[in-house]
Amino acid sequence: MRPFLLSRDTFHILVALADRDRHGYSIMQEIAERTGGEIRLSPSTLYSAVKRLLEQGFIEELEERPDPEHDDERRRYYRLTKTGKRAAMEEARHLEKLLSDARASGLVRKRA
Amino acid sequence: MSNASKLQAGVLRLYRPFLWLYPAEFRDEYRRELCLAFVDRWREERTLVGLLSVWFHAIFGIFYQAPREHYHMIVHDLRYAFRILRKDLSVTAAAVLILALGIGSTTLVFSLANGLLLRPLPYPQPERIIAVTESSPKDPNETTQISFPNYFDIRARARLLDDIAVFASAQWPIRGEGSAERVPGASVSDGIFRVMGLDPLLGRAISREDDLPSGPKVVVISEELWQRRYGRDPHILGRTIQIDEDRSTIIGVMPAGFHFPDRAEFWVPLQMDPAKAARTDYFLHAVARLKPGVSMEQATSELESLLEQIHRENPAVNNNWIARAIPIRDFVAGSYRKAVITLLVAVGLLLLIACANVCNLLLVKASSRVREIAVRTALGATRRRLLRQLITESLLLGLAGGALGVLLAYAGIPALLSLIPVNLPLWMNFSPDSRVLAFAVGVSLITTLGFGVVPAFGSFHADLTDSLKEGGRGGMSGTRSKFMRHGLVIGEVALSVILLAGAGLMIRSFLALRMQDLGFRPENVLSTSLDWPESRYHDGPPARALLARLTSEVSSLPGVISTSFSSGAPLDDGWGRIFTIENHPVDLKDMTFINHIVVTPGYFHTLAIPLLQGRDFTENDFDTPHIVIVGETFAKKNWPNESPIGKRLRFGPPKNNEPWHTVVGVVADAKHGAYKGEDRASVYLPYNPDITPNVLLVRTAGDPLLLQLALRSRIVTLDSDIVVSRLFSLEQIIARVSWQDRFLTVLFTAFAALAVLLAAVGLYATISYTVSLSTHDIGIRMALGASASRVRAMILRQGMTLAAAGLCIGIVVAFALARLLKTQLYSVSPNDPVTYIAVPIVLILVAALAAFLPTRRATRVDPVIALRHE
Repeated sequence: MRPFLLSRDTFHILVALADRDRHGYSIMQEIAERTGGEIRLSPSTLYSAVKRLLEQGFIEELEERPDPEHDDERRRYYRLTKTGKRAAMEEARHLEKLLSDARASGLVRKRA
Repeated sequence: MSNASKLQAGVLRLYRPFLWLYPAEFRDEYRRELCLAFVDRWREERTLVGLLSVWFHAIFGIFYQAPREHYHMIVHDLRYAFRILRKDLSVTAAAVLILALGIGSTTLVFSLANGLLLRPLPYPQPERIIAVTESSPKDPNETTQISFPNYFDIRARARLLDDIAVFASAQWPIRGEGSAERVPGASVSDGIFRVMGLDPLLGRAISREDDLPSGPKVVVISEELWQRRYGRDPHILGRTIQIDEDRSTIIGVMPAGFHFPDRAEFWVPLQMDPAKAARTDYFLHAVARLKPGVSMEQATSELESLLEQIHRENPAVNNNWIARAIPIRDFVAGSYRKAVITLLVAVGLLLLIACANVCNLLLVKASSRVREIAVRTALGATRRRLLRQLITESLLLGLAGGALGVLLAYAGIPALLSLIPVNLPLWMNFSPDSRVLAFAVGVSLITTLGFGVVPAFGSFHADLTDSLKEGGRGGMSGTRSKFMRHGLVIGEVALSVILLAGAGLMIRSFLALRMQDLGFRPENVLSTSLDWPESRYHDGPPARALLARLTSEVSSLPGVISTSFSSGAPLDDGWGRIFTIENHPVDLKDMTFINHIVVTPGYFHTLAIPLLQGRDFTENDFDTPHIVIVGETFAKKNWPNESPIGKRLRFGPPKNNEPWHTVVGVVADAKHGAYKGEDRASVYLPYNPDITPNVLLVRTAGDPLLLQLALRSRIVTLDSDIVVSRLFSLEQIIARVSWQDRFLTVLFTAFAALAVLLAAVGLYATISYTVSLSTHDIGIRMALGASASRVRAMILRQGMTLAAAGLCIGIVVAFALARLLKTQLYSVSPNDPVTYIAVPIVLILVAALAAFLPTRRATRVDPVIALRHE
């Protein structure tokens, strides 16, 4: 059984927070960049997911602003928690396994 | 402000309203973030397509996510509410049960109201169907049937009516194929099916030619009769059916469920001759269909002017009566309206008591939850959030109570209908429909508001800091909570007193009705209607011989004391006639009706009606007709201060050719026509060659119902063509004619009993709670030497003070409201002193018990333990 079942958007948000703490718009941007503009979260999708992730304890809201110079003081920043990190890693491993299975079965071409 | 920031502000102005779709908590939390992210995203795009796509994305996202947020929150609230309710299972169960009783009773009564007053009648466009009545100008609310010539003239002249029809319903014996049975049917004029708006399923309806005085013997039957007697024979049309003496050809079958009037199963043409029918013979009911768009008022004013016109043309029979149009619903169900509304009010009061009771329960519970609420507030829950949570809990209780209540109502309907000893008209349908369900849901929701919101708001008024302190007693700050709980109990007691007083009046009225002096002894008398083939036993000597044989056969049955025949069963007969006293002519307008009763000798003996003057009828009177025996009041009124014996009277309108009848005897007054209310005077005639009475009355030594089978078989052995029907004891007849009073009394009493029980439970719970709160005080008092009995008295006094306050308010309100019951009451004043003495006694006894029980616990308090509590 998989310990976590993360939706695509949730996984992307966790990944976006993996390298550093971000505010909402920064998460949206990061995801858009990473996927080459293929996935663009709307604000509503983002914050519904953020709310759920906060409730599950996968992310937390920061008390102070990490980057005061570039920062708009009003924004809220989010950080990946240990649980969140574990969940994201678990999901990533799972995806990896899925991909290798697909390769083994010849469904996906092996990388040279 | 720069252009860019102006634009940005404009964009936000457009975006923000969409955020209202979110739950308030989500909106409060993320509004700013959502706006910021949206503006950033919007600024990123340069092209028109890009901007449009950002907008589309954002709005679509909100429409997609907002309902999900609502859903998440509701699920969360429900889970939490379930947990809370499960934790306090006894309180939850009590609340659900109380609500179920309240909502169930209300739904049950509403089902009655729905079946009688709301559910559309099973005819197309029923709002266009009216009843046409005539009424005396002296008493315009007392409507009556109309005469055939009046109907005939109205039909020819009315412009606002699509059609008008008359009918007289009766039960006729059907013989021939299969067993003989007495079946309800109606003689109708040809328009009846057009007025009701239904075509036959098979064949044709009765035509105007069929309805001519010389018309053919035809009949239209109901689908049910077709099924029952003919097994749905497809070749039914053209077959004949023997209705009483006539063989009639079946020309049509009406669709299933059509039974107008009441339970009619067949319809034969009236075939009356307007030239021969009397204009003052009001024995037909009239119904009509209004032309589209015609109002009741327009129809009434047309009918009024038509009847005036008819009276002007026929001055000899001008009685100044007025014609009226009344909605068909009022015609068929109007007599139930008041009773149903009375019951709705009663059950509404019961529901209020249930609400107050649950409210009280939740208030007590709320005070024990103040800590929980304080903790949640401290952890950042908003007021709105908490309120929502509390209301969700109430809503769950309300809906659970409602669901259980609907089940109770479903189960209650058959029980309720079993209280009704008569066959109700078939259009009445009490099975719950969507309207009843919607009502139940609505009542549950309103009830939830009623009992849930007060305790919910109350919870916030507690002093939070105090509640959080270790050992803080919490509780919605003492006095406010106490004030509310006491107010509720007083209200409950007051409401239950109102119901109790209502029930008391109903019971007194019903007892007065059942104990009234009828003037005859109804115990141990069996009554039955006999229908014999008139071709073999036509009026005169053949019928007389039949009655003699029947009498001797029946008298030989064991336990039979006396036997006689009458033209109508006592209390179940409506044959009335107008009359003139010789030398005292009265204008037609002022004539009154008497009960016209044709009897065989021995009638007064069978019913135990004392003969006061003159003589009883004898067998010899059969051939010496034109004599009567009159009731005492009738004699005194018409021949004051002189002997009525030898005086003469004549039936019918003032100027006619009917013979004079000589009074030969006077009997004590005995009720015959109306059981409840004023009865008409009675005039008895001996059976004679023109009229053969067909209701057999048998007085027995023991229970008359034990004789039913033997009686029936003895008669059928004599002649299997005699149809025996309406075989009831006179006491059963009384139960049948007074069922509405009994029904109302039983229901009202049940509601009042429930109300008193709920109020007692409320009082008990409140006093118990007070005792548990004041354990400390009681401990101190007892430590200071107060005796147990003094403590008991103190607590009892508290309970009785509340009860007395409720009692006083309740009695005053009941006294004011009782006049609304006036029309339902029989020979009991709405201010009946017995009721207003009995109600406080009952209530004080119940309240004393409810307040006494908690006192026992109080005096078991050990002062040492109570004080250590501190």
